[in-house]
Parts: sequence; C-alpha cells; structure tokens
Amino acid sequence: MIDPALVSALSALMFVIGLGGAFTRKNAIIVLMCIELMLNAANMQFAAAAVHHGDTTGWVYTLFAIAIAASEVAIGLAIFLAVYGQHETISLDDVDVLKN
Amino acid sequence: MAGAEVTTTINSQWLDFAPLIILLPMVAFAVILFLGRVFNGNPFWKNTLKEGGLIALPVMGASLVLSLLLISEFLEGFNPLKVFDPEVVDKIAWVNTAVWNGGSTVTPVSLGFGIYVDHVTVMLLFVAAFLCLLINTFSIGYMNTDPINDNRNHRFYAEFVLFCSGMLGMVLADSFLWLFIFWEIMGLCSYLLIGFYYERPSAASAAKKAFMTTRIGDVFLMIGLVMLWDLFGSLDYAVVFNDANIEAVAEQSAGTLQWALGLMFIGAVGKSAQFPLHVWLPDAMEGPTPVSALIHAATMVNAGLYLVARMFPFFGAEALHGDLEDLAFIIAAVGGITAVMAAAIAFVQMDLKKVLAYSTMSQLAYIFTGLGCAMYLANTLDWHHDKDAHYIVVVAFGAALFHLFNHAMAKGMLFMASGSVIHEVHHAHHHLHHDDHGDDHHDDHFDAQSMENMGGLASKMPITATAMLVGSASIMGLPLIGGFWSKEGIIANAWRVAQDDPRFFLPATCVLLGAAMTGFYMSRMWLKTFAGKPNNEVAAHVGPTNTWIKTPLFILTFVTLSSVIFAGMGFTHWASDSSYAFLSEKNLLEGIVYEMEHAFANSDAFFFILTYVAIFLGAVVGPGLAMALYGGKLADGEEAKPWMRPVIQLSSWVNKRFHFDNSAFAESSLATALEHRLYIDEYYDKAMVNIVAGFSNKAAEADSEVIDGTIKAIESGSQTLSSIVRSMTTGSARDYILMVAVGTLAIFMLVWGVA
Repeated sequence: MIDPALVSALSALMFVIGLGGAFTRKNAIIVLMCIELMLNAANMQFAAAAVHHGDTTGWVYTLFAIAIAASEVAIGLAIFLAVYGQHETISLDDVDVLKN
Repeated sequence: MAGAEVTTTINSQWLDFAPLIILLPMVAFAVILFLGRVFNGNPFWKNTLKEGGLIALPVMGASLVLSLLLISEFLEGFNPLKVFDPEVVDKIAWVNTAVWNGGSTVTPVSLGFGIYVDHVTVMLLFVAAFLCLLINTFSIGYMNTDPINDNRNHRFYAEFVLFCSGMLGMVLADSFLWLFIFWEIMGLCSYLLIGFYYERPSAASAAKKAFMTTRIGDVFLMIGLVMLWDLFGSLDYAVVFNDANIEAVAEQSAGTLQWALGLMFIGAVGKSAQFPLHVWLPDAMEGPTPVSALIHAATMVNAGLYLVARMFPFFGAEALHGDLEDLAFIIAAVGGITAVMAAAIAFVQMDLKKVLAYSTMSQLAYIFTGLGCAMYLANTLDWHHDKDAHYIVVVAFGAALFHLFNHAMAKGMLFMASGSVIHEVHHAHHHLHHDDHGDDHHDDHFDAQSMENMGGLASKMPITATAMLVGSASIMGLPLIGGFWSKEGIIANAWRVAQDDPRFFLPATCVLLGAAMTGFYMSRMWLKTFAGKPNNEVAAHVGPTNTWIKTPLFILTFVTLSSVIFAGMGFTHWASDSSYAFLSEKNLLEGIVYEMEHAFANSDAFFFILTYVAIFLGAVVGPGLAMALYGGKLADGEEAKPWMRPVIQLSSWVNKRFHFDNSAFAESSLATALEHRLYIDEYYDKAMVNIVAGFSNKAAEADSEVIDGTIKAIESGSQTLSSIVRSMTTGSARDYILMVAVGTLAIFMLVWGVA
C-alpha cells in the first residue's frame, strides 16, 4: 500500500507540470493534453483522499471525472478542427481574434 | 322640468329595445367593413348591394322604426293621467369601481350605460334617425354613381353607419359620460368622412382641421365634466338633475357649477361650429355631399345644441335661481355674434356648399341665442309657481328646439339638393368634355360646386329646384313655411329678454339683423343657381337626377311644408315640457288658428310690430336685394314648373326695375375681408405657428440638450470604460489560462485566508 501522501505529492507535481505546459506551449493540442494532465492530477488527489479517509465517495468522483474528461477532449478536438478550418492553424499565438 | 315632482312612470314596452337603435348600426359598421374588404370589386356586392348601401339602408330603417315606436310611446305618456317622467332602464354594467373621497369614505361608482328618454331626447332622436335614413337613401344615388368612388364605397357606408350610431347613442345616453363617449365616436367618424378623398391634400387638411378644432372644444368639455363629477360625484342625469342634489351643490358652489357648465359650453361651441371655433365647418365641405348633409343637418352640429339643451335642468332649477344668468348671456351672445358674422361671410361665397355651410353656422347660432334666452328666462323667472312665467319659459325653450327641428330638416334637404345639383353639373361637364368615362376627371380644374358654373337650372331639375326653394324659404323664415314659426319665436324671446336685461340687446339686434341677411344670402344662392340664363355651356346641359336622390328631397319638402302642422300641434310646448300634451288641449285646426293669431295678430303691441319688422326684413328686404342683384328670366324655351314661375318672374322684374351697381361694395375692403372669412383662419394659422413653433423649438432644444445630453454622457462614459477593459483582452489563450489560474488561486487564498 502506497502512502496516500506520496500519491498526493505526485498529483501536485502533475498539476504544476500541466499548468506550466498550458501556460507556455503554443500548440493547442499540447495545451489540451496539459489540461488533461491537470484533470488527472485532480483525479489522483481524489483517489488519495479516498484511501486516506477510507471513503469510496472519492472513487466515484474519479470515475465521473474520467467520463467527463473523455467528452471534453472530444469537444476540444472538434473546436480545434473548426479553428483550423477558419485560420488554417491551431497555434495559439496566431489565433487571437478576441484581441481588444 | 316642471313635471319632476310627479314620479309615476309607465311601463314601456319599447324602452327595452332602445339599445338596439344604437347597436344595429354599430354591428352594421363591422359587417359592412368586413364584407367590403372580402367582396371588394365583386359585381353582386357592387351592383346589387351597392357596396354596402343596401345593408346600411334597412339597418337605418330599423333604427328609425324602433325610434318611432319609442317616441310614440313617449308621446302617449303625455296624457296627464300617466306622466312619463325621465325613465331610466337597468344599466348595462360597464365599469364598477369605487372612488376614494379622502379619509375612509368610499363612494361606489358604476359607469354603466343606460337609456334616458325625455322631451329633448325624443325630438333629437327623431331628427337623427329620420335624416340618417334619408341621407342613406340619397347616398346610394350620389356615391354609387360616381366612378371615383368605385370600390371604396364600403368605407363610406361603414363610417356612415358608425356616425349614425354615435349620434343616436349620444341622444339616448343617460349620463354625460356616455354622451361624451358617443360624442367622440362622432368626432372620429367626421374626421374619417371629411377626409374620404384622402388623396386630395385639401380634403386631408380639412379633416385634420375639423378634428383639431373640435378637439379644442372637447378638452374644455372634458374639464367641465370632471368639474361636474367633482361637484355631484356622478355624471348620470338621474343624479345631476335631481333637485335635492342641485340644491346641495347650489348652496356650496354655484359659481363652480357655472364654470363647469361654461366649459362644457365651449365643447358645444366647437362641435356646433360657433365663433370662435367655427373655422372647421366650411372646410369640411371637402367631404362628399352626403357627409356634409349628415354633419350639418342630422348629427354633429346638433350635438352641441343637444348638450346645451341638456343643461336646461340646471338653469331651470329653483335652487340656482339667478346664479347662471351670466352663462345664459354668454350662450346667447356667442349665438348672436356668430349669426351675423356667418351670414356676412355667406354673402360673398361662390361655392354652393360653402354658402350652405355658413348658413348652417348662422342658423345654429340662432338656436344658441334661443337656448340662451330660454335659459335666462328659466333662471330668472319664478316659473315653477307662476303659470304665466312657466308658459314663457316653455315656449322660449320650445322655440329653440323647434328651430333645431326645422333647420335640420331644411338644411338636410338643402344639402341633398345642392348635392344633386353638383352631381348633375359634374356629369354634364363630364359629358361635354370627356367622351370616355375615365376615372381621372377630378384632375381638371372644373369646379362643379361653384355657382359660376350654374344658373337657370330651375327648368332642368324641377324637383331639386323646388326642394331648394322650400328649404331656402324655411331657412329665411318666409311666413308659414318651416323655420318661420321657430325663428319668430327666437327673435321675439331675444327681445323679451332684452327688455329685462340690457345686455341682451346685443344678441337681440344680431338675430333681427341676421333675419335680413339670411333672406339675402339664401335668395342669392337660389337665384344664382336656378334663375337667370345658364352661365356657361355646362349649365345648359344639366339633366334631371336619379330616383334615389329625388326621394329624400320629395319627403323633406313635405316635412318642411308641414311645419305649420307641427306648430299647430303645439310643438313648442310639448317638445320642452311634460305638462303639455302632444296635441295640446286644442285640436289641430284650433292649434293652427291659435298659432296664426299669435304670430300675426299679437295682442302685445311691441311683439306685434317686432313680428312684422322681422318678416319685412327677412322676406322683403333680404330677398329683394338679392333679386335686384342676381334675379333674371330663364333662357328662351325653358319653362319652370308653375309654382316656381312667379318667383322667377318676380326676380326678373325686380332685377330690371331696381338693379343697381354693387361693384363699389364688391371691390371694397369689407368684401375682400369677407372673402377671406374675416381673416380669422389666417389669424389662427399665424397664432398657431407662433405659439406652436415657439413651443416646439424650446422642446427640441430641451430634447437635444437634456435628454440627448444625458444619453450621450452615458454612452461616452461607457466607451471610455470599455477601452480600458479592452486593453486587457489580448486574444492569446495562454493569457486567459493565466488569468483563470491566478483568479482561482486568488479565490482559493481568499477562502482559505477567511476560513
């Protein structure tokens, strides 16, 4: 049995990696992957808490979050396809129509 | 009213049907409008149903029959054994509400519609229903034979029946509120009907003028009604004419009551086209002729008179004895001034219908003078207890009502006859100048209403000429015909009052002078149209008119001629007071003899002389001058009907013998002023331009400075704000993610820190 505290620490590491990637990368797909990483970090945090408290509610949340993450990816990719159709690029630096 | 203390009422069988008199035309309005929309252009609708004319006709017939049944029942009620006092049927509930009187007192209010029948109602109900039916008949002959009206006559008939409905409703209503509502329905219809040819700018502006001018009066009427409500807590006749209520009001606020009635009188002035709100009436001649007849004879202009006649119970109330005599004087004075002014303007009008329009103003002014004098007498004499005074008041009031009756009949006939002339002159012109019956014949500059294009029509249109002759004689007050009986009564009463109160010398002199002026302008109109040689080739080719037009002329000629019978039946008595029976105590023949004796051999020397002076002025001086100026023989080979021949021969003899040159007068500045209607319209226009334009400029300034300024400040402020916020949107997704992250962190820290 792994100590839940270690799992929690790994989760925090994953979250920071994800956040940093989301800030710095300009390819939208990488950014999406980073967001997924942050989501997974949250899932891990749920799992760690469930083990720590001996309560299965955390596991249930994890399952829901995985389902939601799957559909979110589908939507995200569809958006990128549409953006690519419009701008012929998905580089976040070049897609700045909301500017001003 | 004198019979007010008698509370017996008879059960009326037809009173329950009285609302139908109003509802039938109102339903017909919707039906004609709807069917006209759906079947417009359909040959059955157009030729057989006359585009709604034959729907309107039976409806107006039914209204007349129901009115007559009601009237006959009412007249039977004059039997002294079963006095028919103002009878109120159950109200049709409309608005039930309560009025807060301040503190904790609340008065329940029901604004239902009910039917109120008394002498004035009965008289006007007959006039309105009867003339509406005849004018409807006339319209079918006039409107449906003119190609310009094709496919839009349904609009005319729909508006026509709504107008009739408004008039009948106004007469039958049992409260000033409903009187006002129907009054406004009429105002709307008159606007629509005057502007029937809305594509003509003159008609559109005439309609607007009529609407706006009467509106000025209506605003005052409304203020008056609000004041009346404030005094009595109700506008129902049953409440406001109640002697006890009047007494209670009289103690506290007789002066306020006089103001309220005075403001209501301004409404009547507007509606009945009296000085200074008379300017709309001549312009209203832009409407089709049946409309002129409808507005001038049967309905709208009588509405104002009806309103004033309705106020009689206030003037006659014992509690208000002497309190309202100033208002009575104002009513009489407005009448007197208008009578002379309108008659003077009628001298120079060339348009046939405008002469009649000014004549209408002048004759209505007579009725106002008559009402004013009757009200003065009722207000100052002790007529509740003194039998002689009672007789004087009743006859004075009755004379005014009788003149209303005679004038409505005669003027309805005159307008229809003038319509018949215009119609035929128009067709003759058309026949001569356009062989193809094109629709655009209103574009040329031929004026079918101008007397310049008439003359010598007596032989070509015998029935029209006869009707016009009888109608003119009635308006002029030629002895024994129509208006003579009532006009003499009005003049005599004006002078009777003038002996009591020197202020009344003004209206009294005016009506006496007006008699001569009426004689002149009516004769001038008839002679210029029917006597002499045709003025041009169009007039020479005028043909006889159609049956639809002839029928009402025929009927009204007889009604006007039989005025002597009405007089003999004591019309002036029973039309104004319930203590007199329908046929008086005398039989018909005795009644006629009595009236003759009273008119021509008055025992009072003053009134004896006055009668003959009035007859001399109205029947000799006025027509004589007109004959000297405009009389003449018919063209060779033309023969008038035997009863018109003497008139034409006399006119040509007078013309030869006494002809004088009036060019000095015709070119004088007075004549020019009269042609410009004494510049009153111009003056109003100028005043309106100054007041309204000044006000509008100020309003426009306020609009651009204050209202627009506020909005612009809001706009520029939000723009500044948004440009600051805008600089934060970079369009880069990473910046947004950063903001989300930082924001979430901040919230998290905040919650953590607080908790």
